[in-house]
Amino acid sequence: MENQDHILIFRTNITALCKNCEMHKTLQSHTGIQQWNIDHEDVDCVLRIVSDSLSPQNIITIINRYGFDCSELE
Amino acid sequence: MRTRNADKEKLVIEKAIELIVQDGFQGFSMNKLAKSCGVSVATLYIYYEDKDDLIRKIGTEIGRNFFATTLKDFSPDMSFAEGLKKQWENRAAFAIKYPNEVACFEIIRHSPHGEQTLNDALVGFKDQMGQFFNNAVKNNELIPLPIEVFWSVAYGPLYSLLRFHSEGKSMGGKPFKFTDAMMDETFQLVIKALKP
Repeated sequence: MENQDHILIFRTNITALCKNCEMHKTLQSHTGIQQWNIDHEDVDCVLRIVSDSLSPQNIITIINRYGFDCSELE
Repeated sequence: MRTRNADKEKLVIEKAIELIVQDGFQGFSMNKLAKSCGVSVATLYIYYEDKDDLIRKIGTEIGRNFFATTLKDFSPDMSFAEGLKKQWENRAAFAIKYPNEVACFEIIRHSPHGEQTLNDALVGFKDQMGQFFNNAVKNNELIPLPIEVFWSVAYGPLYSLLRFHSEGKSMGGKPFKFTDAMMDETFQLVIKALKP
């Protein structure tokens, strides 16, 4: 079972993501991210991150760098 | 610390089943589910990775409950008639007590999630039923049949009656209610057909 204190949930505008694009590679290879996925079917394109070291702001910074919106989902 | 609230999780599963039965997969969304449960969307994503993950987990949960109910007081060592009767009673009890769960499980089974969901839920169940079937053939209580033919004759009649019951009517809209007497009558005919 995942530790729920380490799950971060964001609203984004990432409607589609290819495996070869830079953001995918960054999230995939980031040592601070244990697991991640985006629910493309959802209106909020919810990004779910499992990380025991990164803060929500760290994630938002990474996503914004690639030109996507990202805000924490309360 | 964020704690997993068992009551809340139960409510989420219950509401998700209701919504899937009511609107199908297409009309079902995490947003609608969150609203109907009075929880935030983020809470749902704490429990489930995404919509597909939620649907698979709910399917597996219903399947496990169904198969556990089916095996209640059942043993593969029972005589064929006794064991099959127990299966009928258990399956009928589940279908009548949890009509929404049954409807939802059917929707999930016939979706792309079906195979995985069923495999996850079936663990242990398959072995017991296989053993029961083999014992019955070995003890000369059952005609050896392809499994599909066996299943159709052994359970088809029960599920037909249960479908009439869940619709509340049979042919031509005639009002219908499933009764124990009717189950017994049908069961005797099934046993007669399957006996060598």
